[in-house]
Amino acid sequence: MSDADTLKSRYGELVLSMSVALEAGKDDAFGAALDRIMHLREKSVYAELRRLTTHLHGALERFRLDSRLVDIAEREVPGARHRLDHVLKLTNGAAHRTMDLVEVSCPIAERISKSASELSGMWAQARQRDRDATLTDLRAMLERTEEFLSATRSDSDTLRTNLGQVLMAQDFQDLTGQIIRNVMSLVAELESTLGELVRLAGDTDPTRAAPLAQRGHGPAVPGLDNGAVVSEQKDVDSLLSGLGL
Amino acid sequence: MGGVNKSMKFLVVDDFSTMRRIIKNLLHDLGYSDVTEADDGTTALPMLQQGEFDFLITDWNMPGMQGLDLLKAVRADARLSGIPVLMLTAESKREQIVEAAQAGVNGYVIKPFTATVLKDKIDKILDARSKAGAA
Repeated sequence: MSDADTLKSRYGELVLSMSVALEAGKDDAFGAALDRIMHLREKSVYAELRRLTTHLHGALERFRLDSRLVDIAEREVPGARHRLDHVLKLTNGAAHRTMDLVEVSCPIAERISKSASELSGMWAQARQRDRDATLTDLRAMLERTEEFLSATRSDSDTLRTNLGQVLMAQDFQDLTGQIIRNVMSLVAELESTLGELVRLAGDTDPTRAAPLAQRGHGPAVPGLDNGAVVSEQKDVDSLLSGLGL
Repeated sequence: MGGVNKSMKFLVVDDFSTMRRIIKNLLHDLGYSDVTEADDGTTALPMLQQGEFDFLITDWNMPGMQGLDLLKAVRADARLSGIPVLMLTAESKREQIVEAAQAGVNGYVIKPFTATVLKDKIDKILDARSKAGAA
């Protein structure tokens, strides 16, 4: 259909009735036809406006996602690498600390065991030669036994302390767990933002993972969280005592 | 009683079982053997309401109800409002510590922490309590 045909089919009848009404001097009929023409024009303007608004909305949405992606790529992904590096350091440190303590403790346990069997051997021998044992022999054995008991007491205390420190060395798991969750939440957001972009681009509707709720700030990471973060317990104490606590 | 009652009932709230285990062990070392665990505020609150606990140690950042919300809920509950609360957390922003203080926390320990710091804070809180009770 040519442009002239389109114009004719849309406005021809109305223009005709206007011209008839004009000839006849019919004010009302002329006005009614004119109103209908204006109404037709308005409808096409509104349709165009709607189309432009949808475009603008899409463009703004893409812009929002683009800037979020740029932010993720430039700032948060390197931050996440730094956080994961901190996880490595914490777990590495804890593993070494644990192994150090085990290496120090094992020889102590061996020493206790060795002394105990030597002493049992001595007592067993003494029981065998029962009557021949002199008072001097017995006194020497009592001394050895006393020495053993006292050494065992202090060795056990050392072992107890070392085991307590092994226990404390496991506290990394709580901190690393929180850092890893932070990174997982970033990955989930990246996934959902990219999915949203693909959806806006139009052809598919990917299933999106809901971003994990990120709550609290998590452990402070050296090099990332400075400024408003306290680094030591004594800073917390002085802050709280300033508040009258 | 000398300010310290070793039969006190502790509730330890942390989403990491390793950390709960560490705190429980440290409390045992200090002579407190009645220690119960909860993994977040949502499970802890009903336990507190039913369990007649004497001391609450809680993490801040947990799934479900967070430690700060648990603290606020405890302070808002007439039967629980007097219970001592120690926040034991990796959250170390100044504004958070101030927020916890304003919500009525009795002590704040940042992770990683030492056995000495934990003992020190518990003693301090109980000491302040017994003084306030005696006065």
